[in-house]
Amino acid sequence: MELGLKEQVKERWAGHAKCRYDDRSDLCEITCARASLAELCGWLFIDKDFNFANLIVEEMPAAWRLRYIFYGGAGSGWVHVLASALCSEETFPSIVKFVHAADWHEREAEDMFGLTFEGHPRLGDFILHDDAWQENVDPMRHHFDPQMAIRYRKPAADWRPRRIVQESGAFVMPVGPKYSGVTESVHFLLETVGEDVIRFMPRLFYKWRAIEKIAEGKPADEVLLLAERFAATTAFAHGLAFCQAVETACAADIPPRAAGLRVFLAELERLRQHAGAIQEICESTALAVAASEAGIFEEDLLRISGELTGHRYLFGMLAPGGLLLDLPDNDCRQALNKSQAVLKQLDNLETELRVSSSFLDRLEEVGYVQQQVAAAYGLLGPVARASAVAHDLRREQPYSGYSQFRFEVPSEQEGDGYARLRVLFSECRQSVHIMEQTVAAMPGGGVLESFKPREGAALGWVEAPRGAAFHWVRLDERGFVTRYHVAPPSFANWHGFHVAVENFAFQDFPIMLATFDLSVAENDR
Amino acid sequence: MMTQAFIIAFLSLCGAGALLAVAMPRTRQGSILAVTGCLAAIALMLAGSSTLISGENFLQPLWELPNLGRMTIGIDQLSAVFLLVTGLVLFPASIFASSHLERGAISNGSLFTVLLLALYAAIGLVFIAGDALSFLLAWEAMSIFSYLLIVASRQQEDGKANSGFLLLAMGEAGTLAAVLGFLLLAAGAGSLDFSAIQGTSPGLGSGLRWAVFLLTFFGFGVKAGLVPVNFWLPRAYTAASRAFVPVLAGATLNLGLYGILRVNAGLMPATDAAPGLVALVIGTLTALVGILYATTDNDLKVILAHSSIENVGIVVAGFGAGMVFVATNHPIPAAIAFVAALYHLINHSFFKTLLFFGVGEVEKQTGTRDLNNLGGLIKWMPLATLAFLVGTLSISALPPFNGFVSEWLTLQTMLRSTELSSAAVKLVFALAGAGLALTAALAVTCFVRVFAMGFLGMRRLNENRQLLEARAGTLAPMFILAALCLGFGLLPTYVIPTLSPAVAPLAGASASDALVPPFFASDPAHSALPSTFVKDFHDLGAQIGQSFLPGRGLVVLHRGGEENPVVFAMSTSYMAVALIVLLGGTYVVIRLWLTRRRKLRQRKRWDGGIRRLLPEMTYTATGFSNPVRVVFDAVFRPTTVEDTRETVTRHFRTAILREQERTHPVDKLVFHPVRAALLRVARALAYLHQGRLNTYATYALAALAAVLVMYLIQASW
Amino acid sequence: MSPWVIKGIRTGIKTSAYPRNAETAAGVTPGLPVSSQMDTGAARALVDICPTQVFTIINGRVNVDVDRCIHCYRCVRGVEQPARWDSTYEWGVESNQKKNLLPAFRKSINICVVDAGDCGSCLNEVRQLSSPYYNIHRLGFFITPTPRHADVLLVVGPGTDHMSLALQKIYNAIPTPKRVVAAGVCALSGGVFAESFTCSEGVTDILPVDVEVPGNPPPPLAILHGLLVAAGRKPPVDLQPGSSQANATGE
Repeated sequence: MELGLKEQVKERWAGHAKCRYDDRSDLCEITCARASLAELCGWLFIDKDFNFANLIVEEMPAAWRLRYIFYGGAGSGWVHVLASALCSEETFPSIVKFVHAADWHEREAEDMFGLTFEGHPRLGDFILHDDAWQENVDPMRHHFDPQMAIRYRKPAADWRPRRIVQESGAFVMPVGPKYSGVTESVHFLLETVGEDVIRFMPRLFYKWRAIEKIAEGKPADEVLLLAERFAATTAFAHGLAFCQAVETACAADIPPRAAGLRVFLAELERLRQHAGAIQEICESTALAVAASEAGIFEEDLLRISGELTGHRYLFGMLAPGGLLLDLPDNDCRQALNKSQAVLKQLDNLETELRVSSSFLDRLEEVGYVQQQVAAAYGLLGPVARASAVAHDLRREQPYSGYSQFRFEVPSEQEGDGYARLRVLFSECRQSVHIMEQTVAAMPGGGVLESFKPREGAALGWVEAPRGAAFHWVRLDERGFVTRYHVAPPSFANWHGFHVAVENFAFQDFPIMLATFDLSVAENDR
Repeated sequence: MMTQAFIIAFLSLCGAGALLAVAMPRTRQGSILAVTGCLAAIALMLAGSSTLISGENFLQPLWELPNLGRMTIGIDQLSAVFLLVTGLVLFPASIFASSHLERGAISNGSLFTVLLLALYAAIGLVFIAGDALSFLLAWEAMSIFSYLLIVASRQQEDGKANSGFLLLAMGEAGTLAAVLGFLLLAAGAGSLDFSAIQGTSPGLGSGLRWAVFLLTFFGFGVKAGLVPVNFWLPRAYTAASRAFVPVLAGATLNLGLYGILRVNAGLMPATDAAPGLVALVIGTLTALVGILYATTDNDLKVILAHSSIENVGIVVAGFGAGMVFVATNHPIPAAIAFVAALYHLINHSFFKTLLFFGVGEVEKQTGTRDLNNLGGLIKWMPLATLAFLVGTLSISALPPFNGFVSEWLTLQTMLRSTELSSAAVKLVFALAGAGLALTAALAVTCFVRVFAMGFLGMRRLNENRQLLEARAGTLAPMFILAALCLGFGLLPTYVIPTLSPAVAPLAGASASDALVPPFFASDPAHSALPSTFVKDFHDLGAQIGQSFLPGRGLVVLHRGGEENPVVFAMSTSYMAVALIVLLGGTYVVIRLWLTRRRKLRQRKRWDGGIRRLLPEMTYTATGFSNPVRVVFDAVFRPTTVEDTRETVTRHFRTAILREQERTHPVDKLVFHPVRAALLRVARALAYLHQGRLNTYATYALAALAAVLVMYLIQASW
Repeated sequence: MSPWVIKGIRTGIKTSAYPRNAETAAGVTPGLPVSSQMDTGAARALVDICPTQVFTIINGRVNVDVDRCIHCYRCVRGVEQPARWDSTYEWGVESNQKKNLLPAFRKSINICVVDAGDCGSCLNEVRQLSSPYYNIHRLGFFITPTPRHADVLLVVGPGTDHMSLALQKIYNAIPTPKRVVAAGVCALSGGVFAESFTCSEGVTDILPVDVEVPGNPPPPLAILHGLLVAAGRKPPVDLQPGSSQANATGE
């Protein structure tokens, strides 16, 4: 298939694209002329069924280099489409005509670098809010000077939301940034005439911390702190993705015990995060007892994590090259036993939820996402799997030794809120199942192996609890990060969230929000 | 004698004003209208009140016409009430019209003045007509002047001629039906004279009675705006200039109700419950349909027009209840029902005129009537807003304003159906009562929305356009009517005895004693109440005010039989005092006592931490009424939502276009088929059409003449 | 009876004994480094290894600035002489800006929780406060969505540029008397995000903070202690007993 793809590229795109195939990393690099970029990406995305992962813009000394990362299903490896232009040219063709999943990636690149994507209908006012910043602030450019940007701050005074609902009496309902009890700061603009959300406009990046900017020029082990902490509810997954990127870039191997423990901890985190998501779903439907039960499980799992590793969110475990701390087998077994007990109770909870008609009424046929839409928007994680898009990087592009474990990738057909809840429960079972296998076959030996840093760039990927996360890291010869770019799963799922909420009543909105399990911190970075 | 003099003064003032308007230059038209209009209105008031005070009916035969009998003018107590109310409405309306005439509401001022004064005269004449012929002639004149006023007062060519013509066409259709009804009645009585008809009507056959009832009910119902003959009304109101529409709503609307009342309760008292039930059901339906449309529309004028339909429905429901009580020989409930209906009719004239003044001023200043584009007016015109608020509170039937008293009385009347024997009739009353209660609830929704969306919140359109407080020419009329609204709300015990003589002949009993017992009377002989009963009520404070207030008291109380001494009782006056004491007391306790040392700090509204709250982020009128639309969609299907989406590059949408086509169910079910049939006929008669509106008016007159000729032939036969 | 009621009863009481008694369960706190006496070489190693400059050496003593500790554990894992680590959870500290808080509230307290760029963990720990384990309602603490009803503003996150206006608006919307509790190292010093041009070095730059709760994230019990301190029901603790003295002598 991979060789087939290379030949197909040669045949189909002769004269437009050059193809280089790297057998070791199963990576096919296609260098493509700007003119046929959009068509080529469209061909990969639509005809060849590749998934879009990330768009990386790099400002090289003399040229822009854009790297569109695609990945296939099980066994079909990675495709990087490269396009470049001179630094003076700041225009690329937009691929959103074919690859809608790249919509927000292009908007981000436009906001961060000042690039223009021809043919993209919605550029501007994305990460840098137009009513907070002036035009021509390109924070990710090398020459960007924050002092100047702030000193000459001149936000657009006449900013207005871009409305598209043209109906007498339609108005924009603003929600947030502070809108409910314990919620992350995010601003929604809901176009409506009263009862139903006709159009949903998220205004994210109220929490934008620009971690990709501060990562530049730092040693990898310090950037790891950022990778762990920008979205700490899934800290281990993001830290792992970063570590894997660094390890791949430096061609470092990690000790097998570290790999096994990493899987164990990653699944523990997934279990805990899913319990939290289930708690939020129960709470959004005002099912108090179930919400309390799920809250107990989440805290139980936090305590298990805290007892096992010292930190409730698994901070300080990872290091490029392995783990900072070895966990005794006995502790792991105890943690597993406790997790199994929690899972048993979670199963009980699911059984009771499945017969609570008042609960199901709020979830069923709510926030419906069709399979085709989920695929076109490149939705990720449990959300996509509930819409029958059963991608899972642990299965399709295995890392950290996941290929040796037996597990299922749960998926549902309906694409509604209830399907998403069922996927969460099923994944909890699979996580404990994987944890059991890791503990049973935990290799011995050390957990940290030092390696020599070298110049290079690589993608690290994990299936984080909320879906696939892609971390692109470029290192210089000292092992310092020169470019770091994260495509977190919530970024993709926020992009598609509007499909689910539109044309539903306001009172279903919190429920749909809960079933999508979106993290603002992860998206805002 | 006095009455006669006032009538002559009224007619001469109208005539003199019209002559002056022709003679004087444009700039003087406003003052002419203001002076003569107000004086004419005062003359009308005096004519009405002198009759009411003296209690004597006035009758003046005029000319003997060959074969047609004598033309008579006369004012009985019923006419007098209508004259008084019309005068009370026309007085502020004249000031308002003249003020807006000067501010450019009308292009041709002198024509408008002439026509308006002519309309005044015609309205007055309808009320004082003492025979069918003069009534119909005055009616016809009134119809034509209304039409001409709508056409003359147009500012832009936006289909107003069409609306004016619609008004005329509908009016003529109604008139023809009424004429036919009158002729049938006159044929039965052998005379056109009202007193003669009244004398002989009990002997008429039931078939004839039904025909007369249906013809006159729906014929006059056109002017009043009854379902299903009301679709012209919102269109005519939107077409009419802001200077004229208050007159249309406050005065001419009453004529239709007067016609129904005059014929079906005065000339031909009901002997059968069925016509009354028809009126009750139609009234309730009218009220419901009216308020539903009012609640879901966004054009202020259309809202008020539909709300007029609603109020007419309430009045007609009251009439219907009264007719049923008359037919089933329950004079006291009948009198109460008629009083309630008449009371509500008067109230509606007051608050609706007041609201139209407000809307006219808003339209003048902002250039729009669309509630979705208004908002925040209270900051610019606080006084006008205050007066408008009184209007909205009154129309929402909130105590202590006048709408509450009459709607409360109407609903209480519905409950009196327990005295009726037939279960089926009781059921109809119960359903009608429920319908009216729902109407009242929706009316609150509707006018909370109007006030909140129009006057509170943020300005949504033309944020930079300078707005000013309304001028005296608007404020004075508004506050006159606001005072009337409050007065009629606070003092029902004085209004009811005034109305009672007017309805006594219709019902056969006086509502005065039944509703307003003499709590103030120290003379026990005067009291119809047992002394223990009076004592109980005096313990509750019913005699408070006795030492300095004239009259019978401030409590409206309907007394039942032995086992049920108090059927219902209320006192808006005491309620108002209690409200003031409670609210004032609360303020005093909280602000002046409990928190007297605390500094009051005003902070900006909490907006969720958003950078800037924009006007488009606030609730619109459509959004506010959307639940009503959704709930009643299944029942009425008044709107069909057309949802169109446009997309580019597959997943990006540039626009979501949603169009809502409003189809009135009555239009769809009744008039579209009728119109289609008529159009076929009209095409066949196309050679008669010349495309000039005046020609059509001539046709209408010719039709009236033809009917009269037919009558002549029949009479001489 | 509804099966949920039975289920709830069957689960029994899970609520922590804190604040009446100490909480003894494992895994409820990540702990904090504490100042200690150390030999110079090991102290230097700690100063060098800490990515957020928590440690300073004053008079031969390793001094700890808990406002900066991000729980990376690099001072305890993989070093020869680890820093002293204490697994307490009562971390509510009076802010330097305001000393000697007087009790401002007599009855129940409504808390407005604001996320000023938090990574999700602090907020998740605040969420746990409502779960049966911590159940702050029993203490008369309620979380309110609107600042209009709030007595205490609980801020997490470093105070991003986009949120600073909202923070000020929220603070202004809270009626007096009010207390501000800043929870988490990001809110105190900016944490790992401090050097970003879109973040402040903690919300202390934006708001007058009354009570500070360090930790990355502070566990629910620490936040609870901070709230109790803000309510005047618990005395504040001094997490840097040596440092203030040292500062005083230093000055």
